[in-house]
Amino acid sequence: MTLAEKYRELIDLAKAHQLNVDHSGKVLRVEGTVTSSDVKNQLWAIYQRIDPHFKSNDVILNVKTNVTEGGKVKVVTMESRLNIRKGPGTDQPIVGKAEKGDIITLISKTNDQWWLVRDNDGEEGYCYSQYLEPVQ
Amino acid sequence: MKTLRVFSMVALILALGLGATSCKQVSDADLQTAAQELLIANPDLAEVTVTVADKVATLTGSVAVDSLKALAETTVAGVKNVKSVVNELEVVPPAPDYTELDATINAALADALKDHAKVTAEVKDGVITLTGEITKKALPILMEKLNALNPVQIVNNLTVK
Repeated sequence: MTLAEKYRELIDLAKAHQLNVDHSGKVLRVEGTVTSSDVKNQLWAIYQRIDPHFKSNDVILNVKTNVTEGGKVKVVTMESRLNIRKGPGTDQPIVGKAEKGDIITLISKTNDQWWLVRDNDGEEGYCYSQYLEPVQ
Repeated sequence: MKTLRVFSMVALILALGLGATSCKQVSDADLQTAAQELLIANPDLAEVTVTVADKVATLTGSVAVDSLKALAETTVAGVKNVKSVVNELEVVPPAPDYTELDATINAALADALKDHAKVTAEVKDGVITLTGEITKKALPILMEKLNALNPVQIVNNLTVK
């Protein structure tokens, strides 16, 4: 079965949202930015349904959600609270914590991994971007 | 006696004739040297080997792009006394350089793996290889973080608990 056949559903959804899709090599690459985290979550859900333990090693799904600086983001940790750190890095001291489900303010995106936020107590610091998603 | 004279005349003419032509003739070895020197002068054609037989040059080896294949041919065709060129060059694109990507991924890995203590990751040629163990619940979270680093491939050898 070709990559295009195996991941047809994933590719169709990605293309419907104008993402870059490349299945010419041995790894299917889906890249780009979507406006809603729902679409991103849907893509990941389809991927996981096709390959539950991500063991096929044949996909790179690098989809980011379009978050505007100054906008609100939701804390989407598994169960723990999200660390807010003094600087962009896990080696930086923790200056605060945000509860799962909290809606906080994104001040700026330092890089793909670390975003500067302000929590509801007015505390500012850096959070790992993977645990934040835009609020519609 | 007469036959012998005729015979030696013929032999002499033949010898002279041959001698005369071989004076004008450049040997295949000379042509090969001249052609190879021209190729060596261009670093892009360093992997090209030329052999000459009966004034026909044959190119073997590899070049990075089609245009260099053509360039090698015209270069050798331009050597005086080369009759024709047989171009057997292969076009082999150079292996991409992943040094920068590996460094970027390595720099970001520590943060991405921070909440996954039992996971070890290795990066080579843009490929992240995972070993160790992880819970079924944490796996998609880790995968999302690693996919966001935009590697060439993720090889997941994790034991999913």
